[in-house]
Amino acid sequence: MCTVGGPVDIEFNERVKGKNYRCKDCGERFKGLGKRPMCPSCQSENVEEV
Amino acid sequence: MSKKSENERSGGLLARWDEMIVPLDGETLLLRGERSLLLAAKASSRFVLFIETVEDEYCQAVDPDDLVAVSMPEGGPAEQAEMMLELVRRYHTPLVVLPKDHPGTGRLSMVVSVGSQIHLSCTIQRGTHPEQHLLCSSEEFSGVSLSGVPGGVVIKNLPSRIEVVVLDAEKSAEDKQQ
Repeated sequence: MCTVGGPVDIEFNERVKGKNYRCKDCGERFKGLGKRPMCPSCQSENVEEV
Repeated sequence: MSKKSENERSGGLLARWDEMIVPLDGETLLLRGERSLLLAAKASSRFVLFIETVEDEYCQAVDPDDLVAVSMPEGGPAEQAEMMLELVRRYHTPLVVLPKDHPGTGRLSMVVSVGSQIHLSCTIQRGTHPEQHLLCSSEEFSGVSLSGVPGGVVIKNLPSRIEVVVLDAEKSAEDKQQ
């Protein structure tokens, strides 16, 4: 079964690597995942990596 | 539904379908094992999924062909998993990731992943991995992978004893109203 509460757990080297973005439309800063990041505030795709 | 070659090992005890393609649009896919189950559906829209960890908040851009998958490693009613799936798919409920060794991991009857590819594993600690391509499962589902593709879902390494059912979302809603 799954290792619920147990000691066995594979440690993955590939942890989540979010990139920092800034929305060019509303200025929101966020840590994004995915190929086409989207602003969580205004849903714009007009974002840049910072 | 198409099923390609069957890979048998150990006299058929671990028989698995190498690859299966299930046409899927707005329906929900139910994979039912002897002791556990998995529910999956297309995200069906583009939205931002919030993943909350102790350290940070991640904003994952979800595409319509991405999958929302709910695993119930000890089994239970599929309706419960359906509710969780819709909370994420329709209402974009954030996912919360527990820190390792958090006592709450033992109380989670369901775990969720959202992504274009989802790999099931029984060797990860439930609810503690923010990586959306990994999902905790029971042993009978371990090694199975799901990929959302235009018009359907590709399932790999599926044990042949797992039942595959496509649930009609609209019919299911009508049944509940009656």
